[in-house]
Amino acid sequence: MIIFLKAGGELRTKLNPDVDYYTRRVETERGQTLRDILTGIGINPAFVAFAYKDDKVVRLDHVPVDGDVITLQPPVSGG
Amino acid sequence: MRIKVNRDKCTGCRLCLQICAIEHFNEINPKKAALRIEAKFPDPGKYRPFVCTLCGKCAEVCPEEAISRADSGAYIVDRDKCTNCGVCVPPCPVGVVFQHPDHDYVIICDFCMLCTELCNTGAIVKWEKAASLEAKGV
Amino acid sequence: MANGLAGKTLRIDLARGDIRSFPTDEGLYRHWHGGRGITAKILYDEVPRDADPLGPENILIVNAGIMSGCFIPAGSKVEFGSVSPLTNGPGDSNMGGHLGPALKFAGYDMIIFEDLSRRPVFLFVDNQTVELRDATKYWGMKSLDCEKKLKEDLGEDFEIATIGPAGENGILFSCITHDFGRQAGRTGQGAVMGSKKLKAIAVRGNKSIHVRNLDSLTKQVTEIILRTKKHPNMVPWQKYGTAFFIQWSNTNACIPAYNFQTTFYEDIDRIDGDQLVEKCLITHKACFGCWMNCGKYTKAVIPGKPEVHLEGPEYETGSLCGSNLGMKDINHVAYINWLLDNLGMDSMSGGGVIAFAMECFERGLISEADLEGHSLKWGSVDDVEHFLDMVAHKRGIGEWFAGGSKRAAAKIGRGSEKFAMQVKGQEMSGYDGRWAPGMLLSYMTADIGAHHNRSWTITVDMAEGRDTVEGRAKIVVYLQHIRPLFDTWCICRLFWGELDITPEEIVESLNHITGWGVSVAEVLRTSEMIWNLNRCHYIERNRDNGRSFDYPPARAWEDKIPSGPGTGKGLSLAQIDRMLDEYYAARGWDEKGNPTRELLEDLGLGYAADRLAKAGFLGRSIPGGIPPVRGEKYKPKAF
Repeated sequence: MIIFLKAGGELRTKLNPDVDYYTRRVETERGQTLRDILTGIGINPAFVAFAYKDDKVVRLDHVPVDGDVITLQPPVSGG
Repeated sequence: MRIKVNRDKCTGCRLCLQICAIEHFNEINPKKAALRIEAKFPDPGKYRPFVCTLCGKCAEVCPEEAISRADSGAYIVDRDKCTNCGVCVPPCPVGVVFQHPDHDYVIICDFCMLCTELCNTGAIVKWEKAASLEAKGV
Repeated sequence: MANGLAGKTLRIDLARGDIRSFPTDEGLYRHWHGGRGITAKILYDEVPRDADPLGPENILIVNAGIMSGCFIPAGSKVEFGSVSPLTNGPGDSNMGGHLGPALKFAGYDMIIFEDLSRRPVFLFVDNQTVELRDATKYWGMKSLDCEKKLKEDLGEDFEIATIGPAGENGILFSCITHDFGRQAGRTGQGAVMGSKKLKAIAVRGNKSIHVRNLDSLTKQVTEIILRTKKHPNMVPWQKYGTAFFIQWSNTNACIPAYNFQTTFYEDIDRIDGDQLVEKCLITHKACFGCWMNCGKYTKAVIPGKPEVHLEGPEYETGSLCGSNLGMKDINHVAYINWLLDNLGMDSMSGGGVIAFAMECFERGLISEADLEGHSLKWGSVDDVEHFLDMVAHKRGIGEWFAGGSKRAAAKIGRGSEKFAMQVKGQEMSGYDGRWAPGMLLSYMTADIGAHHNRSWTITVDMAEGRDTVEGRAKIVVYLQHIRPLFDTWCICRLFWGELDITPEEIVESLNHITGWGVSVAEVLRTSEMIWNLNRCHYIERNRDNGRSFDYPPARAWEDKIPSGPGTGKGLSLAQIDRMLDEYYAARGWDEKGNPTRELLEDLGLGYAADRLAKAGFLGRSIPGGIPPVRGEKYKPKAF
């Protein structure tokens, strides 16, 4: 299945966007958690404060479905 | 074309006031804007934008006939005719006719819509639907 | 002036009631860039080294900075500066909201308050009308109540900053409150304002601010507005503010719990960002010119107590008054935030002081008899309310805590110094540094005592290794140069730091406003200059080598983290010493933590070297010389 991950900041650099400036298309297996998917594409989940889908926070143990667009929020640099 | 206010979305950032003054006076000065933000804290703890509703009361009361309705629907101040008497200020039902000591004419919204383009929260938006209502004479 | 400045500076002698207005010294701004840069310079030059921070010789400076109010994203800040009664060194604290721009729209860049008034006064500024008015009827009022009353009396369009009973009574971590929920919290600026019997500042203005190139500035800012509208992280920021960070901090074993005893909190789900937004939110609230609107105006609803409205709790208050106090309900955290805001105490030091007192109670070092028959148990909002009342009015042992946790520990003794979580007298921010060495170093070396806004390194620590200390120091130095620039320019670091706006873009805006044509390298150098001037000032005032003030409390190396993902983690004293050695070398200071002549002269601060030498604390020359560039930007390699 295909999901789309979006991020800004240093996370964006690591994400390697290919759809637009912020967005990467990721092919993944059904049933994988967001944490697994991130690790699979080389992003340490510890650098994601939370994820955001359809105006709601989702945790890293969320299991995405086909077509999901998920925003990755980096930690605040202190504040 | 009108401006719709979704007041619950206003955060009080005053970006609208800044861009209005920059656009019309080339100055950074929220007190020269043609709209206003009311803040009511601590109770209920909300902001509320007030923008021109195109009611036409200002034009109605002007003793110099200095305010007239343009084709766009906006009320435009003829700066040469306006004596800054201020008679048009109190009748405005939303309090968006402004006077400023730097100028000898009143300030009224000309519906350039820049404020709606920059508002990031949807608190003030272009209301195109109103145009179709106007066409029906509503 | 077409350079972002309003044009006038006020000097007010509160003892004589004398108000002088004179043209703003543009050269001073060019050299020191405003905000905390100017406060550093003026305090260094004008406050005698043995002056009592709550006495007549201290100066309180209110500075709106170059960029505040200039149609700049988040151009909203105002800086307060004075010699801090909490740290006994140069202190400054910034505040968002609308006061900084209002000052400039009234025509003023800076107000300098000298001496002490004999009776309570407030400063009334309405364009060119500037008056010291009698504040007797406001004296004694709580901060938020006072702001409301002043707006009723003067007009809703006045921007108001007030102190509460805590500032009036000289609680050393008192804050200054504005816009019903923004504070200049750190370093006890509210206590200085209270010592001067200055209850409030009320400002209104309708003048324009002129910049060098408004067309270029407008074009650049409009492009940034439209670009950041599409930034993927904008929506979560707008929805949660910094409160979203609470869960991450817990998951990654950084959050303080039970007075920094541990770094993992079992009840985090009850006090996180989701709880805040679902249970407490009234409206999203922005500072002037900021569409990130990270402010959350909320209500705290607790059965048996009146519903109260406040701004917050944001991450710092949410952690320091949440997990750090064992709170189990977001309404309780919000209520404590409100108590601190209304009494006029810094919610960060407030959380730290309450937590320290709670641990003292847990250990039997203070008792119910000391607390007027009340307990002070973890998680009890009623106990906190009573304790804060004692502290704000210096009642009984409340007086011990009125000077912060360091002074309270000195009074209580019996080993309590170990867990007064502060450096130089100021309580730590909401991150535990035992498994984040760079963060601990940031606390140890911040010029105003333990504070994160100078340098925050937790993701760097995670990338480079949380158990190692090598290489961290030069990154801390770089951050200590770039982050305080926002306090110098009086714009908000959050907007510029979190939404992919580069330092080059910010400097471009600065140049559109001022016409100075400066570079990023130049502004970093200005920031380094400010940093070193403050260091010299601190050493001179406290009359000892800098190193003696740079250590954390012993919990940092004696108590390993007992629970959660960080179990067993913690640094050794040897590692802490190594970090300091590396830090001083990176700074061009000697091993005692004293700036060297070579460094100070390189920064144009030869006069500061002369003074430091006279005081007996000029740093010894470093064999091999000082580093040519101090501080290094972090280049992430592992993620």
